[in-house]
Amino acid sequence: MTEGLNLDYSLLIPEFLLVGLVVAIVGLDLYAPKMKKTWLAYIAAAGLVAVGAVSLGYWDTDDNFANIIVVDDYTTFFRVFFVATAAVICLASATMVAEKFRHPGEYYALIILSTIGAIGMAASRELMTAYISLELLSFSLYVLVSYQKFDAKSNEGGLKYLLLGAFASAMFLYGMSLIYGITGSTYYSEIAVGLQNPTGDFQWAMLMGLVLIVTGLGFKVAAVPFHMWTPDAYEGAFPPITAYLGTTSKAAGFALMLVLFSQAFEVVHDDWSWMIAGIAAATMILGNLVALQQHNIKRLMAYSSIGQVGYMLMAIAALNSDTAQALLVHLVGYMVSNMAVFIVIIAWYNMTGKDEIADFRGMRERAPLLAWVLAGALFSLAGLPLFAGFVTKFVLFQSVWNEGFYWLIAIATTTSVVSLYYYLQIMRQAFVEKPAEGEESRLPVPLLMNGLAAALMVGVLYIGLYPQALFDVVEAATDVLFV
Amino acid sequence: MHSPVLTLVLHLEEVLIVGAALFAIGLYVALSKRNAIGILMGIELMLNAVNITFLGFARMSVSEDPIQGHVFAVFVITVAAAEAAVALALAVAIYKHRETVNIDQIDLLRW
Amino acid sequence: MPFDALLGNYLAVFLATIVGFGLIATALIAARLLAPFSKEENKRTSYECGMTPIGSTRAQFSFRYYIFAILFIIFDVEAVFLFPWAVTLVDASKTAFWEMIVFIGVLGAGLAYAWKKGVLQWNRE
Repeated sequence: MTEGLNLDYSLLIPEFLLVGLVVAIVGLDLYAPKMKKTWLAYIAAAGLVAVGAVSLGYWDTDDNFANIIVVDDYTTFFRVFFVATAAVICLASATMVAEKFRHPGEYYALIILSTIGAIGMAASRELMTAYISLELLSFSLYVLVSYQKFDAKSNEGGLKYLLLGAFASAMFLYGMSLIYGITGSTYYSEIAVGLQNPTGDFQWAMLMGLVLIVTGLGFKVAAVPFHMWTPDAYEGAFPPITAYLGTTSKAAGFALMLVLFSQAFEVVHDDWSWMIAGIAAATMILGNLVALQQHNIKRLMAYSSIGQVGYMLMAIAALNSDTAQALLVHLVGYMVSNMAVFIVIIAWYNMTGKDEIADFRGMRERAPLLAWVLAGALFSLAGLPLFAGFVTKFVLFQSVWNEGFYWLIAIATTTSVVSLYYYLQIMRQAFVEKPAEGEESRLPVPLLMNGLAAALMVGVLYIGLYPQALFDVVEAATDVLFV
Repeated sequence: MHSPVLTLVLHLEEVLIVGAALFAIGLYVALSKRNAIGILMGIELMLNAVNITFLGFARMSVSEDPIQGHVFAVFVITVAAAEAAVALALAVAIYKHRETVNIDQIDLLRW
Repeated sequence: MPFDALLGNYLAVFLATIVGFGLIATALIAARLLAPFSKEENKRTSYECGMTPIGSTRAQFSFRYYIFAILFIIFDVEAVFLFPWAVTLVDASKTAFWEMIVFIGVLGAGLAYAWKKGVLQWNRE
């Protein structure tokens, strides 16, 4: 049975190392109760960075594990991407977690486990492996969202996320079973072969399967009309987890979609392209419009992220090698900008305990560095020149335009302008409004938070001013998908 | 009239219809129930419908490698159990606070 | 034809069902007609090992019970992987054997973690 299959476990060393890191952190939490709990965060972050470095050693490999997991530049790209995100999140939650939770070890362990799931989603070339990875990511996130055991909002957000997530997985699975039925395989490459010569009998089953798969994945990346869980989960979660939800879980969803649609379903492009284009349009419009009336910063970022998902879905609808590249570029730009915004939100919440937009008043006087980072990152999300968001959005819109989706681009540019309005609302609080009475003093921002915010801001500017390096990396990463 | 040895002949269509019906029932339950546990039951029904469909295809459609469908079903069962465990733990946590698992009354967060 | 076969297969089941229902119905009707009856009020209370029942039927279970139940589900269902493994063990390679050992080890580690955390302790302080 196993003959002819490549069972080279050394390809999976980064994942094994991550598992080892999980065990180490849980063990430390359990057997070294005297240790300061913030150290767990630093160890986790250091371990993650080390694993990222190890994964870089796999650049230029093109090999597979038993045909189900592929280690190529695409996988390496996402390994580094997810590991870096998780490291930033671990650092950002260090102080808060040590203060609030009795079992911080499990918190970091879950973050690392979900990272393994996210990597698996990008690396797998087989439906079952993709599904298991998706669930590993999702389950860890359900628990993380509801991690504040004694906070009713957190529990509620977690339960809603879980119920809708489980519902979406069931849809996704049923779609997979139909696709398996008509193609006789769960391997992407064989599905593509199976779909090449469709028999008339199965046309409806295939469409049904595609609709269900798009629905299931739509839930996971929070596309309209399957976005209902997003604002609740975002508001209920602990702020660093909100940031994590917005980046890793979305990026992993897109990593999976990109591979699945380019490797397995490319031959029936016309059958799913219109579905995703429609969803993308609805997502951009609704996400950005509803964001206008939010007053909680986490809910606003939830709707803003829904709007961003709409832009990214355009790339999937118009899938070819150019849009795939543009999608990865935009994912990176979005990740860095979004993280920068959230670092500011987390730092502010740590110091003031507040997360309404109106509570950001007077940030320029009270924490100037954070205020400037917030401004830069929000401008980047809105897509203003100089910042990462402009370059990445420009590349994305350009590549989708070239594929002939003019109406989508019209919607995308209009909604981008709308988004500027609500981003400016936050900045008005931070820069124009004076601090409340008796709260004018400077806040003692921890060095770690200032450092993280500044580092991410450098990233935003770097991508905005010199995107060529990112383009080169992304080109290598997507080339393997389109041969 | 009948041959002495009776054999049961099932067709793919019949299996698929049972699967689809079960999925539809699960979908209805998941969407109409207002109780978190009830919704979860609906989702479990949907997952079982998936298993039936997978096994039906694996057993009866012409596929080079029928093992995949079987393996998939086994994995779905275990993932469903893990899902139920997480959901029940959460439901217990919520019940401790609110004395209800009715999702209409769990409404601190909206819009 | 398949439908006929189906019916033929189920004929025995159908007959057994009818006979079963008939037997029970006869027994119930006969008891109704022949047995002596008392109209004592206590007969209407639910029977609990001969004790007089106290309190409402809807007793609350301790939350601890649910934690055990949740743990049980996981370990119970994960065993499903053992069956296909056991059936194919003879033909499968040595790797398959060690992979299952690793899998059981992971499950064991999970149990050990729960134990160490005191989840299995019924009376926690």
